[in-house]
Parts: sequence; C-alpha cells; structure tokens
Amino acid sequence: MSLVRAERRRFFKRRLTRWVFPIGLLLLVTIASILFAFHSKPTAEARAKGETAAEAMYQEQVRYYEQYKRECGEKCPEDGWTGPQRSDFRAEDFMPPSFDFKTMYGELFLVWAAIMAMVAFLLGASFVGAEWASGSMMNLLTWQPKRMKVLGTKLGVMLLSVAALSILALGVWTGILWAAGEFRGTTAGLTPGVWESFGLTALRGLGMILAFAALGFGLASVGRHTGLALGAALAVVIVGQVGLTILFQMVRVPFWEQYLVPVHIFAWMNKEVKLVDFSSPETVCDNVGNCNPPELLITWQQSGSIALALVAVVLVLAFWQMRRRDIS
Amino acid sequence: MAAVLEIQGLRKTYRARGGPRRALDGFEMYVEAGQVHGFLGPNGSGKTTTLRTLLGLIKPDSGEMRILGQELPRHLPQVVSQVGAIVESPQFFAHFTARDTLALLADAGSLPSERVDWALELVGLRERAKERVKTYSLGMKQRLAVASALLKQPKLLILDEPANGLDPGGIREMRDMMATLSAGGMTVVLSSHILGEIQLICDSVTIISLGRRVAAGPVAEVLQAHSSGQVKVALETPADLSAAAQVLIASGFQPQLNTDHLTLSGVDKPALIARLLAERQLYVSELTPVTADLEDVFLELTGTAPVPGQVRSVDQSVRPELTPQNGGAA
Repeated sequence: MSLVRAERRRFFKRRLTRWVFPIGLLLLVTIASILFAFHSKPTAEARAKGETAAEAMYQEQVRYYEQYKRECGEKCPEDGWTGPQRSDFRAEDFMPPSFDFKTMYGELFLVWAAIMAMVAFLLGASFVGAEWASGSMMNLLTWQPKRMKVLGTKLGVMLLSVAALSILALGVWTGILWAAGEFRGTTAGLTPGVWESFGLTALRGLGMILAFAALGFGLASVGRHTGLALGAALAVVIVGQVGLTILFQMVRVPFWEQYLVPVHIFAWMNKEVKLVDFSSPETVCDNVGNCNPPELLITWQQSGSIALALVAVVLVLAFWQMRRRDIS
Repeated sequence: MAAVLEIQGLRKTYRARGGPRRALDGFEMYVEAGQVHGFLGPNGSGKTTTLRTLLGLIKPDSGEMRILGQELPRHLPQVVSQVGAIVESPQFFAHFTARDTLALLADAGSLPSERVDWALELVGLRERAKERVKTYSLGMKQRLAVASALLKQPKLLILDEPANGLDPGGIREMRDMMATLSAGGMTVVLSSHILGEIQLICDSVTIISLGRRVAAGPVAEVLQAHSSGQVKVALETPADLSAAAQVLIASGFQPQLNTDHLTLSGVDKPALIARLLAERQLYVSELTPVTADLEDVFLELTGTAPVPGQVRSVDQSVRPELTPQNGGAA
C-alpha cells in the first residue's frame, strides 16, 4: 500500500498532470459553454416567428410548385409527387436552435472521450517515461526491487487516477450540458432507459480513455522514454492514417476506412459504423430489386477487440522488458 | 569479523556493436561489518556494473553475491530495506522539492515521515528542503542523493562518487559523516576517484581493473604490499652524490642518481647505507623510506599512469591474470 500511496502522490504532484488535465478540462468547458451560448430556450414569441416563417416558406414552395405544374401541363412526369406538404415545414427549423439534452448529450460523449483520451495518453506516457529518462526508476528499484510489482503498481495507480480525472471531467461536462438543456433547451424525455444508455456510453468512453492511457504507458515503458510513445502516436497519425488513406484510395482498397483509428473510435462510441464502398463496380440487390453499393458494418465489439488486443500486446511487451532488461 | 558483502566469481558480458564486452570477469569482493571500504577502479573497469548488479538492476551471467548473509538476487527483496545506495549521480524530478523527493521515497519504503527531516538535517539541506531540486547546485543534488540513501538508516551504505560536485568543505563534511556512520556500526562501500580521500577515510579497499580484482585488503596492507622498498638518500654535500653512487654500486646496490639525492631499491636495512658511506667520509643528511600512496598503487596496479606524449584510451588498463586470490580457479 505504501508504494501505491507514493505513486498516487507522485502522479498528482507532477507538473504535467497539473497542466495537461486543466487544459483538457478547459477545452471541454469551452466547447460546452459555446454550445450553451449558441442555443436558446424556445419562447412563445420565437415560436410565433418560427410558425410565421414556416408558413411563409410553405406558401412560397406551393407557389413554385403550382407554377411548375402550369408550365409543364400534361407533360408533367407522373412521379406521384403532389406538391409540398405543410407538415414538412416545422416552426423549429426557423427558430434559434435549442439544446435538446436527450438527443445531444448522447452524441457529445465522443467529444469528452476523445479529449480525455488525448490527455490520458500524454499522462500515461509521461508518468513512466519521465521516470525512466530521469533515472528515478533506477532509484526507486533500489527501494523496491520487485520490478513487476513496481511497474504493475505504477500502471494501476495511473489508470485509477486517470479514471478519477475523467469522471471529474465528465461531471463538469455533464453539468454544463445539463444547464444548457435546462436554460437553453429541454431536458424532457429522460427515461430510465435513456439514462441507462448514457451510462453504457459513458462506460465505453471511459474504457477508451483508459485504453489510450495504458497504450501511452506501455509504449513509453518499452522505449524507456516519453518520446517513444509520442513518436509512435505521431507516426500512427501521419504514416498510419494520412499515408494509408492516400495509398488505399490510390490502389482502391475496398472499405479502406476500416483501417483508420477514428472509424473504430466512432464505432466503439456509437455502437456501430456502416461503411459504404462507393468505388466498387459491384452492387448488392435486395428482394425487391433495390441495388446499392456493398456495405461493411463495424460493431463496437469488433473495434473493442482490436483495441484490447493492441493494448495487451504493448503491455505484455512492457512487462516482459521490465523483467528481462538490465537497468542502466 | 562477519562479511556484510561478499562477491565471488561475478561475471557479466555486455553485447556491444564491436562484439561482446566483458564488464566483470570473475570479480571478487569482501567487505567486513563496520568498515568503510573503498572501491576503486579506472573508468570502465566495472565498478558501476558491480554496484548495479548488487542492487538487482543488472543480471549477472554467473557468480555469487551475498549481502548481510542473504543470497542475491534471490533474497534482495528481504535485504533491500537494510541497503542504502546511490549509483552514479541519481537524477531527481527537477520540479519536486527535496522534501517531496524524500517523502515519496519514504512512502515507497514504508518509512516514518520524521525520517525525512532527519536525513535532510544530516546532509545539511534542512533549510533548503522546500526549494525545488532544479534550483540546487550539483553539490546540493549530491547531498540530496546521499540523504536518499541514508533515509533507510541502512546497515550497508553504497555510495558511488558521493563527493562529486562537492566543495572542499562539503568533501570534509562527507568524510566526517562517513566516519560517524561507520562508528555507529554502519558499513560503507565508497566508490570514488578522489584517492586521497579514500586513503583518509577507508579501512580497506578493493581495486578493480577490466572486471577483475587487482588488489584488496586493509589500506595499510595494500600500500605495504605494493611499496617498492625504496629509500631516498641525500648527502651533506650534494657534489659527492656521484662518489656515493660508486660506493653503493661496489657494494651491490643499484642506485638511481637524481639531482639532489639517490634512490635505492630493495633495501632491507637502511642503516647499512649510512655505515657504508660514512666509512668513505660521505655523510648522509637524509635517509628516508619512499612510501607509496594509494594513487601510486592504483596507477601501478591498473596501468593507468599517464605517459607523456601518449593518449590512453578508456579501456586501456591492466587485466590481471585470474588466480585463486582474485577469483580464478585454484
């Protein structure tokens, strides 16, 4: 327990923790505040204006439609279209946007998870990388020679601390968005089922944040320097994402998007992503003869399994190296 | 007296681009309880590898090690609480204060927090304990390193170049501290290149060269064993030095003629020299044994004495033959 206490104290005393987490939090607060500022509660006056504008637009479209019918006469195609429908012109579309908490909060989990994942990657990498680079790890091992215990404790403390910070950030994020719903929109429709869905999405978001933290930790531990983790991240972004995108598009790899990290992040957070291969010469037709380009469904289970395997490989390598390699 | 530290036949080979490099080649070392033991060797001789191997940071290829009777590295976790160490110049987080640095180590070792103030007081850093380490001079960082090693109040203290960066006053304080700690029963292993300090502080020494032990034992014995038995002979009239040399050559000696004195080797009875010369009316004004100091012995044993006009490479030192005395097979 004493090592856990020491590592926890060190994590929260670190300059990077004291800078990077507040920056991430500030980013979230800024985004949430902008959402708050750019939405407004639908007042009776705004609704009346919206109704008027919707009616005016509807009338204008009807006029255009009637003019069109007059001009083409009997030559008009029999496409079954009977002109604009009043129900398609809603007052809401002509009113200042209001914040519907039920709809938007769920969609915005990705913002919280993505920002905190970046923060977590940096904190995880530097927590162990700085220790290796500075020689403090060697010093610590003269106090605690059980290497697996030391690295395991560091990983555990880092993950728990990152989880605590992420939950804190989620609390702030939720608070501002809830306020946006209360004062600049609506919080209606929040049934227990909706909250359960929010909870599950939040858990997946937390899982993603911890995966990034563990990945940063593992890479920095393998390279014994924070720089290796940051370099690997940069390489993945530049070579693995931008480069692969260009290459795959050039050689027309089907469903090339499945090799991009953001697609899997999106699939993980939103349960699934459907990719459509518009460049394919083949089409897939259903029973009634509707033909569409081929599609590929990526589920959150598939993306999660890939991420879990990657994190596991990096961590196993980090622990294996810790056990085997000399420390000099 | 019981051995606090025992090393036998320690071997470690590093893989390097130019081929394998033997850092330790059957190294032996014994340190008795309560001693201040000097651990000397040229750069690249294997000192730091030995210390790191003892502390479990490097895995040896073969050999036996014991600290306080416990076999290493198997029982290192049991014995580590009684071993304080600094290896080379330990680095600390620059933005932590000295107190934070030690408090975190004390936490990691389950030590009471009062121990932090005790250690800071001992190395003279108490007044500056709340300042960030990045504001410290090299000497202050070295004091902090020593404080971190002392924090455990260990039975065995291993210090690698503790005087690095210390001012003369600091070096003397360090010397006094070693003496105090040793008097209190602590065994200290001290690696340093300041050989004058080692000669002053240490009870015994081990000298290593290219991974093998070249000398070991009490300082006085090592000096005695490697002094040449030379004597310096000066005359009342320096102009008579040549004549004196002829007299001594005739008596079977091989004097070396210097500008103001003669040097003779292998002299068992210095009084014989005085008598031989006095019989020829050559009167001795000075007849003193030439004593070697630790630096002379070190340079001789390791073959690292500078030669005018030559540049010595780091690995260019003496590798002694393995004998039963320094770890070889009997």
